[in-house]
Amino acid sequence: MKKLSVDDLSAMRKELKKKKGSWIRVGCSTCGIAAGAKEVFDTLKEEIQKRDLKSLEVKQCGCIGMCYAEPLVEVMIEGMPKVFYGKVDKDVALKIVEKHVCGKMLLNDRIYDAKRSR
Amino acid sequence: MVNAVINGMAVEVEKGTTILDAAKKVQVKIPTLCKHPDLTASAACGLCIVRLTGSNKMLRACSTPLEEGMDIVTHDPEIIDVRRTIVELILSNHPNDCLKCGRNGDCELQTLVAEFGIREERFEKILKDIPKDDSTGTMVLEPQKCIKCGRCVEVCQDMQDVWALSFLERGFHTRISPAGDIKLADSPCVRCGQCAAHCPTGAIFEKDDVEKVWKAIQDPEKYCVVQIAPAVRVAIGEAFGFKPGTNLTRKLYALLKRIGFKAVFDTNFGADVTIMEEGSEFVQRFVHKKGKLPLITTCCPSWVDFMEKFHGDMIDYFSSCKSPHEILGVLSKTYYAQEKKIDPAKMVVVSIMPCTSKKYEITRTNEMFASGYQDVDIVLTTRELARMVKQSGLDFADLPEEDPDHMLGDYTGAGVIFGATGGVMEAALRTAYFMVTEEKLPKVQFTSVRGLKGIKETVIRIGESDIRIAVAHGLANVEYVLQRVREAIQRNEEPPYHFIEVMACLGGCVGGGGQPYGVTDELRKLRAQGLYHDDENQEIRCSHDNPYVQKLYHEFLGKPLGKRSHELLHTEYHPRPIYRK
Amino acid sequence: MEKRVFIKDTNHVGKKERTRDFYTAFLAQLRERKLENDVQLIRVADIGAYNQGFVVHIYPDDFLYSNVEMQDIPRMIEESILGGKKIDDLVCHHISKQFRIVLRNCGVIDPRNIDEYIVHDGYQAIEKILSGYTPEKVLEELKTSGLRGRGGAGYPTWLKWQFTRNVPSDQKYVICNGDEGDPGAYMDRSVLEGDPHSVIEGMMIAGYVIGATKGYFYIRAEYPLAIERVKNAISQAYQYGLLGENILGTDFRFDLEIRLGAGAFVCGEETALIASIEGKRGYPRPRPPYPSVKGLWDKPTVINNVETLANIPVVILQGGAWFSNIGTGASKGTKVFALTGKVKNSGLVEVPMGTTLREIVYDIGGGSASQAKVKAIQTGGPSGGVIPEDFLDTPVSYESLQKLGSIMGSGGMIVMDANDCMVDIAKFYLRFCVDESCGKCTPCRVGGTQMLNLLERASEGTGKREDIEKLKKISLAMQRASLCGLGQTAPNPVLSTLRYFEDEYLAHIEEKKCPACRCGALFRYSIIQEKCKNCGLCAKNCPAGAILGDRESGYTLDQEKCTRCGRCFEVCRLGAIFRG
Repeated sequence: MKKLSVDDLSAMRKELKKKKGSWIRVGCSTCGIAAGAKEVFDTLKEEIQKRDLKSLEVKQCGCIGMCYAEPLVEVMIEGMPKVFYGKVDKDVALKIVEKHVCGKMLLNDRIYDAKRSR
Repeated sequence: MVNAVINGMAVEVEKGTTILDAAKKVQVKIPTLCKHPDLTASAACGLCIVRLTGSNKMLRACSTPLEEGMDIVTHDPEIIDVRRTIVELILSNHPNDCLKCGRNGDCELQTLVAEFGIREERFEKILKDIPKDDSTGTMVLEPQKCIKCGRCVEVCQDMQDVWALSFLERGFHTRISPAGDIKLADSPCVRCGQCAAHCPTGAIFEKDDVEKVWKAIQDPEKYCVVQIAPAVRVAIGEAFGFKPGTNLTRKLYALLKRIGFKAVFDTNFGADVTIMEEGSEFVQRFVHKKGKLPLITTCCPSWVDFMEKFHGDMIDYFSSCKSPHEILGVLSKTYYAQEKKIDPAKMVVVSIMPCTSKKYEITRTNEMFASGYQDVDIVLTTRELARMVKQSGLDFADLPEEDPDHMLGDYTGAGVIFGATGGVMEAALRTAYFMVTEEKLPKVQFTSVRGLKGIKETVIRIGESDIRIAVAHGLANVEYVLQRVREAIQRNEEPPYHFIEVMACLGGCVGGGGQPYGVTDELRKLRAQGLYHDDENQEIRCSHDNPYVQKLYHEFLGKPLGKRSHELLHTEYHPRPIYRK
Repeated sequence: MEKRVFIKDTNHVGKKERTRDFYTAFLAQLRERKLENDVQLIRVADIGAYNQGFVVHIYPDDFLYSNVEMQDIPRMIEESILGGKKIDDLVCHHISKQFRIVLRNCGVIDPRNIDEYIVHDGYQAIEKILSGYTPEKVLEELKTSGLRGRGGAGYPTWLKWQFTRNVPSDQKYVICNGDEGDPGAYMDRSVLEGDPHSVIEGMMIAGYVIGATKGYFYIRAEYPLAIERVKNAISQAYQYGLLGENILGTDFRFDLEIRLGAGAFVCGEETALIASIEGKRGYPRPRPPYPSVKGLWDKPTVINNVETLANIPVVILQGGAWFSNIGTGASKGTKVFALTGKVKNSGLVEVPMGTTLREIVYDIGGGSASQAKVKAIQTGGPSGGVIPEDFLDTPVSYESLQKLGSIMGSGGMIVMDANDCMVDIAKFYLRFCVDESCGKCTPCRVGGTQMLNLLERASEGTGKREDIEKLKKISLAMQRASLCGLGQTAPNPVLSTLRYFEDEYLAHIEEKKCPACRCGALFRYSIIQEKCKNCGLCAKNCPAGAILGDRESGYTLDQEKCTRCGRCFEVCRLGAIFRG
């Protein structure tokens, strides 16, 4: 990789900002991992692959701060509100893919509306 | 210069002066416990706190430099109260068995408690049972008495570069110990005793052999003789109200006779003999190219131990000559015993030394039994002798001045300066000059090797040759000198020096680990001055001119480095592991 | 689906019937209007507002209503869902007070991917600086911002940097203090794990300003994930040429290395930290000289805490003036707190300085986690103090918390309720400091132990009246004469509990009672025979086998065997276990 100059960096940033699309993020900091985030992440990855949802990106991220609700999964599907699912386990993860991602319906009793805390 | 106010009084001091030292200028003594003039302030004890007028925050006077415009209060009710609480806290973690402690009457903590007028122990006693360590036979570690001031650790690590002592564990459980919680004898400890000399309490203390000496003297079967090292005579007076550096040689002779020794010798004579041997060794290596250069002196057993542990590669450069008191010991049990028809088996040789390491040296190798018996039986430090004097009931100050016993008691000016850094070198040069040039030295003093500079490098002209010299004292100063030698060896170059003198303690033996407490550079200087005065006052100032030395070689030893000399006066060195086991 | 409606009963935790009724009613009315396929009604677990009845959040219009009643359902459907209009009298005003600067990227970006940092304006501050800011200009921005150290002491960051910049030296260093150690505090861990590049960027800027070419991350070894992420971030930054020589094509050079802390709390103290990096025993040394003059390897050194450094790029990008508009008085910007203890929503919160403690505990934290009332909060960890509930309206700032006998500290905030004993709390924090004392200076080494001893006596029922005086005496000595911050502040938890809850101390010492029933020696459990129905639940649950008897003959509690764990008290549904 070549070393960046000031101009390279700005250009790169501009280019990166163009990227849009749906994604799922799993909080994988110590708190999340301790609560089981790795399993959730793997499940989501697997399920997305299985269903061949190529445009959907599953990513790891740090801790959003709502440690009481770990593992946290944030889901952004275009045309739907961006929401956090808290206390997610393997089953919930599967439901997220099935109902939210594919069925375009939000899950009951699992959403932690962190929009207010952002 | 910095201008400030201390307790309302204007004070002007040099930039960088601590508040502690600045306060002395206005006659204010701020109490301290961990601070020692030899060491950088560790700021551990917390007693020296002072405050800026109007501020709650307190500063440590020992480590805070006085700054322009500061307005310092050193004593007010709250400050005194806090200091008092600190002393009480220390006591709550101290065995307080002063009556049975070696430091009773000479303890910095005890003095403080007395000054603060503490009459009761307000806090519950919390003491951990940590066993004593007397494994070295020279120093006894009693961690229970330790107040964690850190002086010994700093001395051991920074001043001496030995790293035998360190702090173990943390918080309340902090204690001094060799790293890895091993015994001191298995550690890198070289028994220099600087830890003991700097300890404010009785946590590190020389192994007390006074009792043993009394027993030997009182035993009708035994024939007790004694010798005094050079540095003892100018320091022991401090324990009896004399000015530091006062030379009490002849009073000491009288004292030791009164105490009951059958003969009183002087290690200075042994030093003169050392010079004959070591001087010859130097001439042999330097002039006759037999053996390696530089030649390194070996009078100091801590240095020998340090070298064997840390610098085993330098052994070939060491003088094989024993230290003066060992030489005197072996001569007592051979030469003197023969002459006086005493059964050497019954002889007990006691050495009064400024040094704790000498206690270790007397059984260091088989060569310390060259007479067929242990050449020196007991070593007392200056501090132990002072205690013995007090036990004897003798009024030391009023004793008359007497002479030593001849044959092993008469010394030259060269012998006496052995007790100061550079002294062995200077004495050796005086004789080496004669040996090389066979001429009388016009001016006997080599002042460039004197003084308290840690490493002294100089070149001395003898005859047609320049002799490159290094003198180091304080073991931390050795590394530089040896490193230069090693580099030259590696590069196959001429050695940077021809002759190196090392003494383990700062200032040489005058600053030895067995000397009276409270050593500072000022004291080291005064004690050394005492020795140099003695030298100046001697009629004979070169070892080879000592008629008794000449007699010794003529009647008994033959030639320096001869067969008998080799049997009796020389020794060997072997690399040792830094950690035993 | 066109609209989505989130509902949450924020009042009655656990009472599912109310939510069910509300939900059913709402759904029925939607069905009535044949809207069930256009509007999704969702019960959510948490809506970010608390104790405000039913809260309803309508997407995508983003209408947030609180204290909604059943009768409000029709007009919400008519006016808001169908009409797209906001109903003013329902609008929720008590929304979260969080404001994210430090945590801006945490939970947002993938910390393992430098591109994600860059896309979120990462390395734009250093880019801006290297394109034409002089070090003086950076200092000016920092000065204007009013940013102060977030490690606890609150020293103005610009001043620290300026001092270091002004000391001439051939080599200088930047150290990031990531030796976070306060019990319950994990802000720094979270930032290092979630947004390591922002700290790297902060360090680069510090290096640029003071003239350092080398920086060290000092991270405690107990943070393996943080270490891994920082390590990864550093290597990515090197790949991009953001570290090393000729950064971004300029002649600025900066190298970074990681050093691990070996588990000593005191190594968070800057001089001990430096000793630790140098490979020495982690002992603090007296200051002056300050690290800005004589720091790592005796060279001028800036040591900043993780949170402070994470603020730096934002200050540069948004400008000092923008930053100084956030916060209050002499405390600018935000502060991250690790909110834990007896609070509903434990976690990390970031609020502007000046936010009240009550807002943090109730509006963000959701209030007490149990039925018991919040009694006090503890801030500043073992160096801080306890602040009673009466003072919760205090706005957070360095000064205000100090005035209350606590400190801001690194940002731990622990909520305590009536079941917490203040003597026990004081003992907990003091024990921490005693365990973590390095042992160098007398006041801390012996003083702390003696104080702990006195507190233990109190909680065991052997305390004496004069012990309180002794506690104060030793505290004073520790505050005034300890060498470093650990010892100077260690008495704070004791002094602050003594200040606000002296009655609890007296209860322990004089009445031999622990009002909160925490100190095992001062209370006991017993069975109230009149209430007991011999169900045996307590006996079955007792881990110590201290409840004897059977369903026929009844049960008794053996005080000798009882460990005061309280299990019987918790399981008894009849209130037949007496505690006191």
